[in-house]
Amino acid sequence: MERAVLQNACKNFEEDLVLYYYGECDATEQRRVSEHLTQCGSCRGFLDDLRRWLPQIAQAEPMTPAFWDNYYRETVSKIERREEREPWWRSWFAPRPMWMVPAFGTVGVMLLVVGLLFGKGNLTYFMQRPAANIPQEVLADEDQLQFFESMDLLESLNRLEKQDDSNGEKTNPQSSRALGRQETV
Amino acid sequence: MADRQELRDEELASLCQQGERQCFEILVRRYMEKAFHIAFNFTRDVETAKDLSQDAFLRAFANIKQFDGRSTFYTWFYRIVVNLCLDHARRHNRVAWESLDGAGEEAGEQKQWADSRFLPEEEAIAGEAKRRADRTLESMPNKQRTAFLLRNHQGLSIADIAKVMKTTEGTVRVYLHRAVAALRQSLMEFV
Repeated sequence: MERAVLQNACKNFEEDLVLYYYGECDATEQRRVSEHLTQCGSCRGFLDDLRRWLPQIAQAEPMTPAFWDNYYRETVSKIERREEREPWWRSWFAPRPMWMVPAFGTVGVMLLVVGLLFGKGNLTYFMQRPAANIPQEVLADEDQLQFFESMDLLESLNRLEKQDDSNGEKTNPQSSRALGRQETV
Repeated sequence: MADRQELRDEELASLCQQGERQCFEILVRRYMEKAFHIAFNFTRDVETAKDLSQDAFLRAFANIKQFDGRSTFYTWFYRIVVNLCLDHARRHNRVAWESLDGAGEEAGEQKQWADSRFLPEEEAIAGEAKRRADRTLESMPNKQRTAFLLRNHQGLSIADIAKVMKTTEGTVRVYLHRAVAALRQSLMEFV
């Protein structure tokens, strides 16, 4: 047995008929479609077929009351378990309403401005700390450091003297030879 | 508790945001059938639909502070359900279309389509039509299927579907028309 399930509608009314069926036409469209339907048998057939078949496709599957009771209990118990598992600090990272972003931003900028205005010049406190506040261990290390620095200085002086000597020999080789002769005599 | 049953969804959601979990349980009671049926329409499997819809409730509860009241609660919640279903469909890449009662596909369809408007001899035709409609829905692009299921099965308005799908009403109209056209094509003629 072969039968046409849905009839063809006029091409320029097809979309409107679907919207008309779902009650989604505005008043003008609705009037236009209604007027057309009085004159067009195939569009009437198309609409009748939509009315007949689409609710059948949408038919909800019947579930027993026991299923829904069980479903509800399970869902609530899952929510309870999740709530228990959730750590306390998570609320700190929870998304905030949008107004909080500019509010916190403004407060931050104001704190920065106040800090800069009233804290100006007080940085010397952190830069020049009195020696009394420095622990003895650190001071001892400082003395050692001075000692090593002076050693370095002496080494540098020696190196300079040697360099001067070698420079003197290069610039006046005759005098050194004469000096050597005198030593041999 | 009894007077809270009378509260609107948005008022209940607001109380949930203040830590009153019992208010969320009222929302579960209100939307569990719809959530399950959406998930079932997408997955055609009772257990999967149950898991997905319950997961949607858990996510809604965990993110209730994100609900800012600019949309209605149900469009916000439907969006969570639909997104979970689409993610599931993408992961599994196909939809298993099975009957609900587990007594076999054929019998299930015959039962669902047996309606006072059909004569007994027409039930076989109705069963075949249902199979074709299911197969067409399965192969339909996700957006068309979502628009069709939300309008035809859940009764959401086009304006609400546009909010759920985060698109324009015009686009939803096009999806809806294409979905109905595809179904019409598949149901056009059969033995």
